[in-house]
Amino acid sequence: MKRSLLLRAIKRHRGRLAGGVALLCLHQATEALVPVVIGLVIDRAVATSDTGALVVTLAGLAVLFTVLAMAWRFGSRLSYGAAEREAHLLRVEIAERALDPRGRRTGLRDGELLSVAAGDTEHAVDAIRAVGLSAAACTALLVSAVALVVVDPPLGIGVLVVVPLALLALQWLAPLLTRRSDAQQAALAETTATAVDLVTGLRVLRGIGAQHHAAERYAAASKHTLVQTLRTANTKGLHLGLTTAVNGLLLAAITGVAGWLALRGDITIGELVAVVGLAQFIAEPVQTLGWCVQLFATARASAGRVSKVLDAPPAITPGEGRVPAPASDRLLLQNISYGGLERFGLRVKAGEVLGVLAYDPRDAESLLALLAGNVARDDYQGTVRIDGVPAETLDIAEARSVVLVEHHHVTLFEGSLRENLGDRPDEELLAAVHAAAAEDVLTAGLDHELVERGANLSGGQRQRVALARAFAADPPVLVLHDPTTAVDAVTEALIADRLAEARGRSPRGTIVITSSPALLRAAHRVTVLDGGTVVAEGTHDELVAAQPRYREMVLR
Amino acid sequence: MSRPLLPTATARETWAVTRAEFARLPGLSTAAAVLLVGASATGLVAPWVLGRLVDDVIAGAGTEQLLYRVAVIAAAAVVGGLLTAAGAAVFARLGETVLARLRERVVDRALHLPSATLERVGTGDLVARTGDDVAVVATAITGGGPLFVGALLSIVLTAAGLFALDWRLGLAGLAAAPGYALALRWYLPLSVPFYVKERVASSERAQAMAGALQGAATVRAYRREREQTDLIEQRSQVTRDLALDVFTIYTRFSSRINRAELIGLSAVLIAGFLLVREDMATVGAATAAALYFHRLFNPIGLLLMEADTVLQAGASLARLVGVSSLPLPPEAAPHQPGQKRLEVTVAEHRYEGGPVVLADVTLTLEPGERVALVGASGAGKTTLAAIAAGIIPPSDGAVRLGGVPLTDLGESATRRRIALVSQEVHVFAGPLADDLRLARPDASDDELTAALERTGSGAWLRALPDGLATHVGEGGHQLTAGQAQQLALARLILAGPDVAVLDEATAEAGSSGARDLERAAVAATEGRTTLIVAHRLTQAAAADRILVMDEGRVVEEGSHEQLLAGGGRYAQLWKAWQTN
Repeated sequence: MKRSLLLRAIKRHRGRLAGGVALLCLHQATEALVPVVIGLVIDRAVATSDTGALVVTLAGLAVLFTVLAMAWRFGSRLSYGAAEREAHLLRVEIAERALDPRGRRTGLRDGELLSVAAGDTEHAVDAIRAVGLSAAACTALLVSAVALVVVDPPLGIGVLVVVPLALLALQWLAPLLTRRSDAQQAALAETTATAVDLVTGLRVLRGIGAQHHAAERYAAASKHTLVQTLRTANTKGLHLGLTTAVNGLLLAAITGVAGWLALRGDITIGELVAVVGLAQFIAEPVQTLGWCVQLFATARASAGRVSKVLDAPPAITPGEGRVPAPASDRLLLQNISYGGLERFGLRVKAGEVLGVLAYDPRDAESLLALLAGNVARDDYQGTVRIDGVPAETLDIAEARSVVLVEHHHVTLFEGSLRENLGDRPDEELLAAVHAAAAEDVLTAGLDHELVERGANLSGGQRQRVALARAFAADPPVLVLHDPTTAVDAVTEALIADRLAEARGRSPRGTIVITSSPALLRAAHRVTVLDGGTVVAEGTHDELVAAQPRYREMVLR
Repeated sequence: MSRPLLPTATARETWAVTRAEFARLPGLSTAAAVLLVGASATGLVAPWVLGRLVDDVIAGAGTEQLLYRVAVIAAAAVVGGLLTAAGAAVFARLGETVLARLRERVVDRALHLPSATLERVGTGDLVARTGDDVAVVATAITGGGPLFVGALLSIVLTAAGLFALDWRLGLAGLAAAPGYALALRWYLPLSVPFYVKERVASSERAQAMAGALQGAATVRAYRREREQTDLIEQRSQVTRDLALDVFTIYTRFSSRINRAELIGLSAVLIAGFLLVREDMATVGAATAAALYFHRLFNPIGLLLMEADTVLQAGASLARLVGVSSLPLPPEAAPHQPGQKRLEVTVAEHRYEGGPVVLADVTLTLEPGERVALVGASGAGKTTLAAIAAGIIPPSDGAVRLGGVPLTDLGESATRRRIALVSQEVHVFAGPLADDLRLARPDASDDELTAALERTGSGAWLRALPDGLATHVGEGGHQLTAGQAQQLALARLILAGPDVAVLDEATAEAGSSGARDLERAAVAATEGRTTLIVAHRLTQAAAADRILVMDEGRVVEEGSHEQLLAGGGRYAQLWKAWQTN
């Protein structure tokens, strides 16, 4: 985990973490003492047939187990709780950054941001888990060391040196193992991706009767993965076998030395049992420590990505101005240079529906980004005035309450139609639905439930619901981008007819960026953009008559 | 709104299918069993030898036997290592082969899902099963599998070892069994529903997150940031609380396990004490028994740690077996429809008890004829096209190709003869050539290029960095919506069906692009019996015959000229279209 993020997390959950770490340490200490107590029972009670000693030592064992169980139960709960709580907080923070009204320069695409929010938050908090685990493992090592040295100092020190060394030596296979299993993971992920891709396109495959070919292709990919996996399995097997053999040989050596001491009468039977038991036990904390190192490494990488999102600077720095009074030019763009736009100008008067046709779609995108308030002041030249006031001086929420951009890529939300259309009286919503010619969506009235992204509607229905939403919001300035591309010609004509009626009331202003002749004809005026600048202006009919290129672009 | 899901196998079915799969590889299964049992058995040697050593010490023996005893432990270590290595490799070969076969069958069944079923369940659940579920099972088999099986065998063999030492010590060890069993019986019914809930909750959380991020532009435009973050926070909180609840149950379970361990260990020690006192066993045997029992803690702990993985893998496996056990669509008797006439009669069609969407529609396409459907959204054009293509069976009616009902022709023969290019566009990830070869695997590069040229894609094909080898689709070169549709038409050419049903969205490409697509569609369907849903009236004008639909009925029918002359609805539409 990136240090600052980890420190912040530790601070945020210090109470829980302190308790958790202390209890987990206690748990490991008691675990280490179990073989010692077994040795004690054998030595004091079983070997001597002393019933009193049996009762006392077993009572001791019971106490030890009770402490052990409770320490883990509450310690792990506290430490797990801290990690889960931190993961939740991180997810919420990422969501806040991702949805910051000002935008954030994270440099990540949506998919990447999603995987940061879902996967990396989980991995990052593994660092918190690792803190508790490694502290506990150190405690276990310490307790074992003390116990061993008390029994026989040279033997104890020997065990403490040799066991970690042997485990370390086993690590030489680790890089190969990691490489192989990375390759295998990649192959597996690719096979999964192939399956998902083919099944996602299943309707397309079915349309041309290609399911069988697709299944064969997947089978080939799956067999390729199998070969990769088996190669990894051999390496893994080798590693596992070596670990078993090395641990066994170590045990043989320690048993030999401790047995020799016991046979000579230097140590008791109980001590013999305890030494052998401890020698087996200390492999665990050493392995845990190795595992924690890996955990920290992956957590660090994930935390890096999380930090990148959390520390991303805002994309724009909006002002604090309030909504001005409506001006006669609701929107005025002058001398704009941004993206592909060059010395571009645009004016939307109160009561006007302005059509915009961009020969190059990238010009439309640049214009939309500007109108949506997503471009930092330093990144464009010229001025954008909303009701006569420079846009950058306005508070961003205020600016967006005046200029609403409904994007071409429609996003609907899970919930009822009413929730999607916005918080307005039903009659206004129904009027908006009518204006967008979306009555066919009202099968269950405004309570009709939409699933995530409105996937239970057709493409044309989604577009018209989005249009209805824009109409219902009734913003002073509405910007629509290709609002009817998935709508049939008849319905599109209907929408064009109703557009002026829905938006024509002064002092509303409307921009429709489109190549639909029906919508362009419904606009009071059409501005044509080419090479980043305005090349023609007029009504649709004038432009059709005078401009061959325009005709080519819009006519059927 | 929940869609009806695909079947999930019961525990019994899942088990039966899994067992049958292992039985198909008898050699590997036997070898894996023998090697793994052998490997576990070598683990029993050391405690036993230590017990003998304890007896030596008590008997006051000298050090002469020591070397021999140590050598036995060392030999067991080496043999154990060899068996473990071989066992793990063989077990992986077995498990992975079974897994590969299973996933291939699941994807095969998913891809061959009968059209009607697919329309009902959608692709979402299928994607989850072929993606997530396969991954979960694979992780369990590859990662946890060998450890899990090893732990299980250790437990069984250690118990056997206890009995071999002295049956009374074995019985004492069994005193722990009820404790473990009760703990499991307490834990499983309590935790399993939680795992299911956790899974649902985390997918809802992911959905909320994905929805908000992908719609960030809209969220900002409508200033719904607070609302969306609140939703995410709330969903994240639900998953957090569920995770904490599950973990709390887990820790209580593990306390119960500790209790069972204490009972078992005490029982073994007490039994050892009594047997030694009565001279029925040696101190060494009692020591070995205690150490055996102590050895059980780790494998049992591991089983518990892996319990959730195993439970989740079990749930996923049941979902996979559910799909893999779906019957393949029956391959009907090999009818050979003589000619390519397509007859569609729909008395009525409705979607699962919904309103009537088609009524009294009769449509006959003569071989080579081109018929267009015209009408407003919701008039039933797309439904009629899907019925004509044999994708949806009409609730009351029939579709015949060359006189043979499609129900008799069978699903795969129908699909080979009638192709549907729908509004759903998908570019398959990988080289462009691979995408096209899904339609005809044996097509040469020249044939692929020719198909693309015929759909007017030559220009952009030549502009691709690696031509046909260019990676397209997810993670590759992004084709525009128009190019993707041209690609779909090229696939149609390669598939070479008798009948083509086209229901493409042409308008995304803009007016000039739509004209190119229209030309491509005409080229792709030349010589085929064609039914085309006309999203643009020029497509209708180019057809031999036009059906005008309204509210699920055919209201006008005739050629472009006839309909214009008739002065009906089509004539009005055409006039409005022309003046645009």
